[in-house]
Amino acid sequence: MAGSESRKPFSLGRMWSYAALLSATAIIAFPIYWMIITSLKTSRDIYRTPALWPSRITFDNYIKLFTEKHFLEPVLNSLLVATTVTVISVIISSFAAYSMIRFRYRFRGLFGKLILFAYLTPTSLLFIPISILMARLGLGNSLQGLILVYLSFSLPLSTWLLQGYFRSVPRELEEQGMIDGHSRLGALVRIVLPLSAPGIAAISIFTFTGAWNELLLALVLVTSESSRTAPLALNYLITSDVLPWGPLMAGAVISSVPLMILFFVAQRFMVQGMTAGSVKG
Amino acid sequence: MDRKNTSPASLGRISRRGLLSSAAASGALIAGGGLLTRAGAQDFSGSKLTYWGGLIFADAANQLLVDTITAWGAANGVETEVVMINQNETVQKVSAAVEAGTMPDALDVGLDLLLLMSKQGVFVTLDDLYEKVGAAQGGWYEAVALATDTTSIAGGRTGLPFGVSGNLLLRRTDLLEEAGLVAPPETWDELVEQAALVTKSPVSGLGLALSNVGDGNVQCSIMQSFGGRIADDAGKKVTIKSEETRAYLAWLKDAWDKGVFPPGNATWDGAGDNQAYLSGQAAFIANTGSVGIAAQKDDPELFEVTGFSSLPAGPIGTISPITPQTRAIPATSGNQAAAMALLEFLSQPEFLSQYYSLAIYGPVLNDQKAFPAFDGSDAIHSGLLDLVENGTAPGWPDVFNTAFADAYSNFIVPKMAQRVVIDGWDAERAMNEAQEQAQAIYDKY
Repeated sequence: MAGSESRKPFSLGRMWSYAALLSATAIIAFPIYWMIITSLKTSRDIYRTPALWPSRITFDNYIKLFTEKHFLEPVLNSLLVATTVTVISVIISSFAAYSMIRFRYRFRGLFGKLILFAYLTPTSLLFIPISILMARLGLGNSLQGLILVYLSFSLPLSTWLLQGYFRSVPRELEEQGMIDGHSRLGALVRIVLPLSAPGIAAISIFTFTGAWNELLLALVLVTSESSRTAPLALNYLITSDVLPWGPLMAGAVISSVPLMILFFVAQRFMVQGMTAGSVKG
Repeated sequence: MDRKNTSPASLGRISRRGLLSSAAASGALIAGGGLLTRAGAQDFSGSKLTYWGGLIFADAANQLLVDTITAWGAANGVETEVVMINQNETVQKVSAAVEAGTMPDALDVGLDLLLLMSKQGVFVTLDDLYEKVGAAQGGWYEAVALATDTTSIAGGRTGLPFGVSGNLLLRRTDLLEEAGLVAPPETWDELVEQAALVTKSPVSGLGLALSNVGDGNVQCSIMQSFGGRIADDAGKKVTIKSEETRAYLAWLKDAWDKGVFPPGNATWDGAGDNQAYLSGQAAFIANTGSVGIAAQKDDPELFEVTGFSSLPAGPIGTISPITPQTRAIPATSGNQAAAMALLEFLSQPEFLSQYYSLAIYGPVLNDQKAFPAFDGSDAIHSGLLDLVENGTAPGWPDVFNTAFADAYSNFIVPKMAQRVVIDGWDAERAMNEAQEQAQAIYDKY
């Protein structure tokens, strides 16, 4: 019985389990802890006394980041880009995945494979062709261009993942909805999408995280200071062979906060979504 | 030549004072409206100009460049956009921009990229401007003139030099004086001896990189100062395998066996030696001056006990290559006349005198020696002046051609050093491998 299980005395086996879990947690959490305390140290402390606790806590790195480096603007740019890419990606990939699962048309299988193929192409091979394309479209050095490029990477993955989730929704439920008066679109929006909510949450997180963290394409495509995203602005803190660890770690902390909140809020969906996709895909 | 930091340099301080001085300098230039428009006899009003500046460690110098170009644009009716590009990413940015046809009207560019791109016809020639600027300011330093001459590959000079960087030897005078050592080491052997005397946990005496990064290529200069060469005088046949290289490897192995190198120096990244010095774990490093500036700002106590001197000499003398920085105009620029006028303006002593006082560059023109930045009160700038006056041209005594640059960027010499000290190979075997690898590179060209 579950109740009697939970009232079992503290056995050696359980102690080992806790010890292992604590060790794993410490290993995972330590880099985050180190990032936070480094952001609160003076530069001299960082180099000369790399202790587990700052000898003097300072917020100078954060102040410098926001006053001298104007880090708020890149963070807002990143929020704009990542949110837009996520919303558009979810909408378009939902339609694309639904079409591939429910409709029969020529070359459907080929399209499915091509989508995956596009996703698997390494970004480093594509950055020059993409920069040429963006320049010809007049979208170079703009957030709109960056959004378009990120969509070209996020859409294939989102579509491919959503196909798995949509397959798990019984066709009969949609048919029942249509008998009750829903259109095809209504059935998708009111029946299929709500039932695929964990999957949609999972791809939203993947897409948002990918767009939030991306550096290489932003580095090549964005030039103006006013259009820089957070990873790019952090990269621009390194201007020489002496690394400004304090401001860098402060920027890393700030950049991590939206992702931490997102994962904290949506982790339940994430696990459900990943499991559903992997088993039923 | 030894220089101690007895006078705190204001140069390159990323502080309120630095920024204020940058603003004041820009203000002075703006106030001197005649100066701003002097270079622009032509009328560029209504045109647009984009400039990519290279970000350097000194924020105040970056700001001064931006403010000055903006002020020049305002005075000449040119709409300017100044974008500061991280120099670590210039290659990716420029490569993509060349392909996409989105190059700026003018940009700061390092020597390697200048040579590579000039060969591909990316830049316009600037011979007239080069001559004019040189004639007005006492002529170019010979090493700078030789190093930046792209005539053989581009039909003319494509880069207008504006600064020189290179390695200085930084040393912990407090530790060394405790050991009774006052003068900087004159030779590589002396350096190892001094390093051994101050090596005591957690300090390792000799913070030189042996890894596959730019800093690791200091090993190439050391090998050359022992008489070793990458290739012959024609720049064709690889000559790494020699008695001189063997002597260099013997010196290295001896130093390694004495335990003077910090742990992990064979796998350091580009910041490894600097971090070792700033964390107090190395008594000597070779650095461009950025570590000095960082210490001056964040760890004045360390700066106070840091001495700067030239790189030591080997049996055939000192090999201390200079790295010139240049400005160039892409052939795709739609506003080349304005770009040319801007480059001339940025070469005026009124601007450069202020710029040098904030940046970590040595002079390129003889008259610039008289700038306050090089009056001897600042150890780092004095070192940079010494470097440009006594340093060697890039690659010298080897021929600095494309094959040399390729072998250099493939870290042939640091890899050979690793074979000896990490893998335990004997010098013969390590030289054979390096010879073979380098010849394969040279055969491509």
